[in-house]
Amino acid sequence: MGVTTERQDNTLIAKSEGRIDGANAREFQDALDAAIDSSERAVVLDLEEVSYISSAGLRVILLTAKSLQKQDAKFAVCSLSESIREIFEISGFDQIIAVHDSRDEAVDALKN
Amino acid sequence: MEPPYKILVVDDEPDLEPLMLQRMRRHIRAGRYTFVFAQNGIEALERLNEQDDIDMVLSDINMPRMDGLTLLEQIPKVDPNIRAVIVSAYGDMKNIRTAMNRGAFDFVTKPLDFADLKITIDRTLSHMTEWREALSSRDKLVALQNELNVASQIQQSILPTEFAQGDNYRIYGSMDPARNVGGDFFDVVHMEGGFVGLAIADVSDKGVPAALFMMSTRTLLKGSAIGIGDPGKVLGEVNELLEEDNDAGMFVTVFYAVYNPSNGELAFANGGHNSPLIVHADGSSTFLPLTKGIALGVMPGLSYQEQSIKLAPGDTVFLYTDGVTEAMNTEGEEFGEERLQQVFATVSPQDPQAANEAVFAAVREFAGETPQSDDITCLALSRSES
Repeated sequence: MGVTTERQDNTLIAKSEGRIDGANAREFQDALDAAIDSSERAVVLDLEEVSYISSAGLRVILLTAKSLQKQDAKFAVCSLSESIREIFEISGFDQIIAVHDSRDEAVDALKN
Repeated sequence: MEPPYKILVVDDEPDLEPLMLQRMRRHIRAGRYTFVFAQNGIEALERLNEQDDIDMVLSDINMPRMDGLTLLEQIPKVDPNIRAVIVSAYGDMKNIRTAMNRGAFDFVTKPLDFADLKITIDRTLSHMTEWREALSSRDKLVALQNELNVASQIQQSILPTEFAQGDNYRIYGSMDPARNVGGDFFDVVHMEGGFVGLAIADVSDKGVPAALFMMSTRTLLKGSAIGIGDPGKVLGEVNELLEEDNDAGMFVTVFYAVYNPSNGELAFANGGHNSPLIVHADGSSTFLPLTKGIALGVMPGLSYQEQSIKLAPGDTVFLYTDGVTEAMNTEGEEFGEERLQQVFATVSPQDPQAANEAVFAAVREFAGETPQSDDITCLALSRSES
């Protein structure tokens, strides 16, 4: 469960792929922690290539959101598949984590 | 750990000893339990130090010399593997909460219902047995695998296995655990006035910390359920309690409903859980509306919207976890909500056990060779036709 990163304006884009579930959530967390430096001010997690997220995966995203909040950085997720969007809606996570349709929209939103 | 199990009863009320021996006489004669008594915390500690074969403690809270809450803190110093059950006043959330924080396994309320007490004692003892077995086998196993075993044993030990049936309703719940992962549980709480609380939940993550989080969720939920009643307020309170000291970012999705058997009313609140299905006598079904509740343990200060519907005679409310709808087949498709509804088009939902089994069978058939990646859990209540 790798995480690749790139930069768009001053925002760090972290991207992963495949299934994120109980079996690899730990790996995902470690990869994400390693990718995000404590000096980051804005981070977008791009889920376009992610096919499925279990609650263990949601927990990693929640932890990331919380730790970024502590370092006063902004955070959003983008490009969710229909089924992942549904998981965000049912769990209520869409009310505590910013969800955007596309990467550009997310980057724009974090600028302000 | 084999019977007879030795139970230390701590209460300053001298009448309790003859009453307990009388009410439990069949189980004592059958060689299942033996009892030891103490009148306060100090005496209890003396008994524990004298007798190293005591398996569990049942303790009152208010007692002279040393109260039950102080005793709870002292028990692990004598033997960390002894589990305690607290006897509290009905709805006394403050003391129940303190007791749980201090490691009590469960609680019963006064006046004692001995049938309920027997169930609680057996559940505690079975938990202890599994816990001890897990501890003794820990050294022999690879750490991770063992941790998962311990976690699944904790999980199994908190699930109800007997379901009290009402005059005009029937309840059945069961779980098909995933081999390694999983954090589902459900509970049924019988309250004053005949009200029935139904809870189903899914804890994020796996392993021992998640299992312990699950255990405290179940206990806090049960305590709030009998102390508060209203489903929305119950979820709000449990959320506050779980969110304190939750640095690990764990959370739990919970659907909680209270059923009123006298008129079929079902009041419910949802903390981020899949919407249950209402199945009608003719096999048609509708999902309960989503109420925008957030999973519990995520952040403080949340409120949970409460709604209510009426179950008509013959209606069933079917609670489930995402292990059902997100089960995958060999082509990578999810079982989904539509297939769940289709199960009820062919199976009469009015026998909740048959309904559960039909859903399990349908999911298994759909998944085929695909390994089960999450717990599959269902809990159903049917209102009788007449």
